[in-house]
This record gives sequence, structure tokens and C-alpha cells, in this order.
Amino acid sequence: MKGLEFWKHVSIGRYVESDSMVHRMSPSTKYLWLLAVLLPASVSRSAVVVAAVTLLPLVLAPLAKVRIRFLLRGILPVLPFVALAAAVQLLIAWPNDGSLVLAAIGPVSVTAREAVAVLTMGLRFVAIMTAIGLFTSVTSEGDTARGVEDLFAPLAAVGFPARPLALMIAVAFRFIPIVAGEFESVVKAQAARGADFGAGARGPIRKAKAYLPLLVPVTIRALERAEALAEAMEARCYGTGPATRYVDTAGGAADVLARIVALLWTIAALAGPAVAAAIGGGR
Amino acid sequence: MQLIRVRSLSYTYPGAEVPALSDVSLELAEGEYLAIVGANGSGKSTLVRCLNGLIAPPAGAVSVAGADPSEPAGRAVARRALSIVFQSPPDQIVASVVEEDVAFGLENLGVPRPEMRDRVAAALRDVGLESERSRSPRFLSAGQQQRLAVAGAIAMRPRAVAFDEATSMIDPVGREDVLRLMDGLVAAGIAVIHVTHDMDEAARAARVLALSEGRVVYDGTPAGLFASGEASRYRLGLPRSYQAAIEFGLEPVIGEGAAGLGRRIAEAGAGTGDGTGAGTGAGTGAGTGAGTGAGTGAGTGAAGRFADSSAARQATAVGSSRGSAFSLRGATMRYLAGTESERLAVDSATLELPSGAITALIGRTGSGKSSLLQLLDALALPDSGVVVSLGSPTAEPGTDLRAVRMRAPLAVQRPETAMFELYAGDEVAFGPRNQGLSGKALVERCRAAMDEAGLPYAEYRDRLSRTLSGGRKRRLAIASVLALDPEALLLDEPTSALDPASRGEVMRLIRSYADSGRTVVMSTHSMDEAALADMVAVMRDGAVAAFGPPGLVFGDGWDPSWGVERPFAYELREASR
Repeated sequence: MKGLEFWKHVSIGRYVESDSMVHRMSPSTKYLWLLAVLLPASVSRSAVVVAAVTLLPLVLAPLAKVRIRFLLRGILPVLPFVALAAAVQLLIAWPNDGSLVLAAIGPVSVTAREAVAVLTMGLRFVAIMTAIGLFTSVTSEGDTARGVEDLFAPLAAVGFPARPLALMIAVAFRFIPIVAGEFESVVKAQAARGADFGAGARGPIRKAKAYLPLLVPVTIRALERAEALAEAMEARCYGTGPATRYVDTAGGAADVLARIVALLWTIAALAGPAVAAAIGGGR
Repeated sequence: MQLIRVRSLSYTYPGAEVPALSDVSLELAEGEYLAIVGANGSGKSTLVRCLNGLIAPPAGAVSVAGADPSEPAGRAVARRALSIVFQSPPDQIVASVVEEDVAFGLENLGVPRPEMRDRVAAALRDVGLESERSRSPRFLSAGQQQRLAVAGAIAMRPRAVAFDEATSMIDPVGREDVLRLMDGLVAAGIAVIHVTHDMDEAARAARVLALSEGRVVYDGTPAGLFASGEASRYRLGLPRSYQAAIEFGLEPVIGEGAAGLGRRIAEAGAGTGDGTGAGTGAGTGAGTGAGTGAGTGAGTGAAGRFADSSAARQATAVGSSRGSAFSLRGATMRYLAGTESERLAVDSATLELPSGAITALIGRTGSGKSSLLQLLDALALPDSGVVVSLGSPTAEPGTDLRAVRMRAPLAVQRPETAMFELYAGDEVAFGPRNQGLSGKALVERCRAAMDEAGLPYAEYRDRLSRTLSGGRKRRLAIASVLALDPEALLLDEPTSALDPASRGEVMRLIRSYADSGRTVVMSTHSMDEAALADMVAVMRDGAVAAFGPPGLVFGDGWDPSWGVERPFAYELREASR
């Protein structure tokens, strides 16, 4: 279809139902593996560690029957930012940089240290984007919410609202298509009465002027629908007492093992360089 | 045994001046089947919400299963005893998988997992959704979604289930399914409270409670309500067969279908509807003004009227030199083209919609009616094929889409939800302002449109749009497309979710617009309304399954596989042959 269509631009998770050993893992295991990439990729200063965690999603992808090309495509949206950051890194010379000059164009030179820094930064982005891409393609909306509940379950004993938090995430997922649908309906109602949508509106000010009147009806409708859903949830006894859960996410022995490995990996990635340095320094 | 007791319940919403409920008393026994009827805004939904504490009633006024829903502990008991199925199907779905949604209530009750599995499976079996258990509810039809809501309710093993206009937003086939489920509940000893505008539905219950302006005006058998004349006094209308029986001079029978009445007509030799029906057509039209429902007006008079006049009307509509207002030639449209969820919405449709006539689009939910209307309005453009809207091919580069849209504007489903101006007059002025009108010309245009829609400009221009009643809001939304002075009107379910009196008003407005020589294309789930149109197009799976005057489509050309019901008048005529 051509004309006014908004659904296409709304990504409601890229979960693809499939049966693989990664899909079968419990949601909390998937979250732990996601963190095993995200944490080192964002905080580790070691280029070796960053390179290692970048490989992790690419190694796991075949096990999850997810194509690597599909994961790499997820990097495209952040590429311009990476390129900009890389350019800044290269243009500004580091103080006391005594490393080998690899190339020089006029006053701008690329040293070995700069090259490693730019490369590491690029890898960090690749690792984060591919890990999130892999996680969303193997975790359903429901599991995404339940995983949060499971991860915070130990804190629930001291009063942390793990279950309400999970439900909030689930409802947020439900509302993405609802709000998109309301938006579409209001845009169509106004376009039918001559508002400037999809009919070649010219200039950003005219465009902004056309979209401004949408705020009121879309917000009101979203609130009305949230209220209707809240009523339906209350009518079904939400919040009347301690709740049980229909879906079992405890996981088996394989899950427990996978969680331990994920934790060890994270610890090793974060503490490894320091330990190695200490050993190296002690010698 | 008594299950629900309401004693002198009055309730006023915070900030409101008029009470929503005044001195309402009611008792309901286990296993009873009660219908609650009344116009939009008469307090039906408020009453149901007071029963389970969604609205906190005054202490002591309400007792459900022995508990008082005015305080938290009593509320929990009341909600266990009384489940509610709400009006809007998608707005009561919590989970992203069918079976998990059924389990939501059980989780909240703390039911252990193995028992939960059994109860979810049984509930899904009861409503016929076992095969959908692991799907996303998003991909179910509105009727299926409503059955899912029923499954979620019965899994909790309530003692009563209230349906709050739960059949008003689904197609006729989905509606039949839900009504059958209600019968099943009653048979299983579970009480049913059915809030509805539809008197045919109300007549199925053993007992009817009528509300008007927050007061109980009738509590008794359906027969008593319809025989007393109270029904028309409170603008409720009559069941279709009941109304028709009276018109044929027969004793009306509660719950009689078209088949039964048709047999009686044939036995009585009262004629096949040609002569008699023509007479009653006019009679009912007048009756509608006095407060009888549009459903009734459409349902009964139509048989006779169309038997003799539809052919003539069709001749003027189709055969005239004015030709067609819209034409589609092999028009195909897809949603989400090129993605994994690609869906064919309109499948090589070829249609010539006559100018100066009303064309009704009918078909099941998701059959492509709304998509077709959007193609006609150039809000959507065809992926292949041609759509000509009032002489302009919409997909051709260089076509001024804004101009096309304003000449044949579309009022989307429930158009009042898209209103954004504070005052009614400004809402109406939005369109003509976009056309470049201002000053006196703008005022005149708005005045004409509001007057035509039955909301006199002088009285309504400074009213707050959101405080208008449901029927008036809908007419305001129609006025705001009429203000464009369009050559054609495209209306997506213009009468949905309105009470019978408001439906009648909207249908009369549409007819008078078309009688001035302009074109209307409207979709509807009411076959009785479709029977009043000049032409009917039947949609099935995105394709046009049939197109012709209603006398033909619902008469000799009728095909049960379309998945729509037949207008009452045609069923009656068929049965009385």
C-alpha cells in the first residue's frame, strides 16, 4: 500500500518463533547472556576483551538459527554516529602520544594508539547492537517481561515490585500497536478534512503545524484506552492477593549451567585484564 | 438463592451535576438471565461497575455474593463472583499470547499452576478457541477476541458474568457466537447480565431491567416491557419480529425468529409482504421519529418497500447519465508490503459505484471494507490497478490528493474519537478553513453543515465537543465532513455503538444527503441498514463477492457463505413464501 501507513515504521520486536537451544533457554538465562555482552562491551578498557565479547553474539547466532547478516544489519542505524565519533577521535591528537604514526595527511596523523581506540569503539557498538538484536529475536514479548520478574525475584523478598514491573513492561508492549493505530486513525480523519498529510506537505514548519493538532486527540485516546485496560485488569482481580504464574520459566539443568557460564564469563571479562596486569606486574 | 442485591443505589460522578444513578434497586438470583436496556448515558455501565467495585458504591447499597463492594475486601469477593466482559474487544486483552491471557485472572487469584492449566484448557474449549491457544490475540478477529474475553471470565468460575454492550463492536456472526455462549452459561447455572441496546438481544433474556436517566423505569419480563408501550416511551424500540408481527396484524411472540413469524404469516394468508409491507414501510418511518429504533424501521418496512421500489430506484441510480462517482478496476492493496506480516487488504476489486446513490459495503470484520473506503478517499493508494475518485485517478502522479480527499471525505470509524477542537463550531470549521474559507463564507458553511446534521449552529457552536452525548458527538463528526461541502460522503460504520434512536437519526441524515443528488458510500454491520441502501457491495477476503441492488443481493443472489446475516425483512419474506 502507498499513502498513509504508519504500521510499517513501528517495530514491535523482531521475535521470530523458532525452536532452537537458545530459544528454549529461560528468559532470565537470556538476560544474563545479554548482560555478559553489554557490561564488558560498555565498561571494559581492554581491546582484547571488547573483541572477545563482540564475537560472542556472532558465535551464538547460528545456535539460535538467526542469520548473522540479519544481526549485522541492525548496526546500520548507529553507523553515522560511529563514523562521527571516529572522525573526532582521529582529528584530535592525544597528548603525549608517542606511539607509531601509521599515516599522516598534512597536520592530521593516525597513530597506532588512535587506531586501536577507534577500532575498540566501533567494536563496542557492534557488540551492543548485535547482542540486543539477538536477544530480541529469540525472546518473545511475554518472556521479555517475565525475565525481568525472574531477575528481580530475589529482591521481591525485600519488597521490590518485581511482578508489577514485569506487567508494566508487558502492557507497554501491548500499547505500541495501540498508540500507532490511534495515531493512524486520527491522521486519516484529519487528512480527510484537508490536513496536510502524505499529500506533499512542503517545509518543516508546515509539517509541524499539520502534526501539532494530533497531540490532543492521540493523547486523550491513549489515556482512554489505558483506562479501559486498567478496568478490565481490575475486574479480573488484579492486585487482590498473592499471584501465581501460568508460564513456568524456572528452566532445567542446562539453564542453570548456562547461567553459571554467563556469570563466570562476565566476571572473567571484567576482572581478567586487572588480574593479568597484577600477575604481569608481580613478576 | 439471591446473588446480587442493590438497595436504593444512587451515584454521582465526581464533578458531575446530574446523578448517573438514582435510587436503583435490584435483586438477582443465582442462574438468572437479566438484560439491562436504556439509551446511551442512561446509567447501564455505571450500574454494572458499581456491582464489582470498579466504581465504589455508597456503603451498604450493594451486596454481591454477600459482600459489599464499597470496601476492598468485599470488592475482591464481588470480583470473584461477578466477571465482566467489556465493550471493546482489544481493550481487555492483557497478555501477548491467547492462553496466557485466559490465565491472567487465575494468576491474580493465586491458583496453582497445574490447576490453572486445566482450567485454561477447559475455558478455551468452551469458547472454541483451543486451536488459537498459542497465537497472539492481535491476530484474532474482533469476534474471536470477545470469545477470548469470555474464556478469561469463565476460567475464574464466577457465579455471574456481566456483558457490558459486549456485542456492539463485533460483526453479526461473532455476535451470534457470543449470544450462544451466554445461553450456555445460563444453562450451566451461571447468572448472566446482558447490557444491550438491541431489543432482539434483550428479548432473549428471562427478565429485562430498563433504565432511563439513571432510574429504573421497568423491571419484569420482556413481554411486559414491549406490550406496555413503555418501550417506545423510553426510546428503546421493539424486537424486529415483534414489530413486524404487529404490522401484519398478528399476535407478537417474544423470541420468535423470522422463520417462525414467516410461517404464521403464510398460514394467516396475510400476504407475502408486497402489499402490506409497502404500507408499513411508511408507517414505520413515521414511527422511528416517535422513538422506535432504526433497526426496527429498517427491518420491517423494508421487505415491502424494496419489493416494489428498489427496481425503480436502481434504474435511476445506476442507469442514469450521471454515471459512476467512484470506479475501481482491478484495485489491489497490501498492508506492510515487503515485510513478514504482509497482508492483502483489497484483492483486485472492480466496482462502479453509482453517483447520487447510497452504496452499502458489507462483509465480515477484516473483509476489506475500511481499506476499500480508504482507497476511494485516496488516503490509501492502490499497489496495482486503478481507483478513480470523482474523476481523478488517485495513483497518477500529479493528482492533488488533498483536493480529492476534500471532495469525498471519509468519516473514519468512531470519528468522534479523532476530534481535537474544544468547541463544536471550531471542530466543524477545521475542514473549510483548510479549503481557504474565512469570515462570512466560513460561518455560512459551518451553519449549513451543522443545521443539516441536526445540531443547530446557533445552539451548538459554543458547546464543548467532548461533553455532547454519543449520538450528538457522532452527528458533530459528520457535520465536520459535511462542512467541506463535498460531492460524496464516505462513512465507515457511521452507526456503530449508537443506541437505536441515534442510529435512526444518523440513517435519516444520510438518506436526506443522498436525496439531494449526492453520493454516499458507507460500511455497516447492520444488514437492516444495508437493505435501505440503493446498492450493496459484499466483501469477502478483500474481494468483491457480489454487487447489486439490495433486492437482488439479499434476494435471489443471496449466498450464505459470505458470512453475513440476511436482513430481517428478507428472512421474513423468504419464510412467509
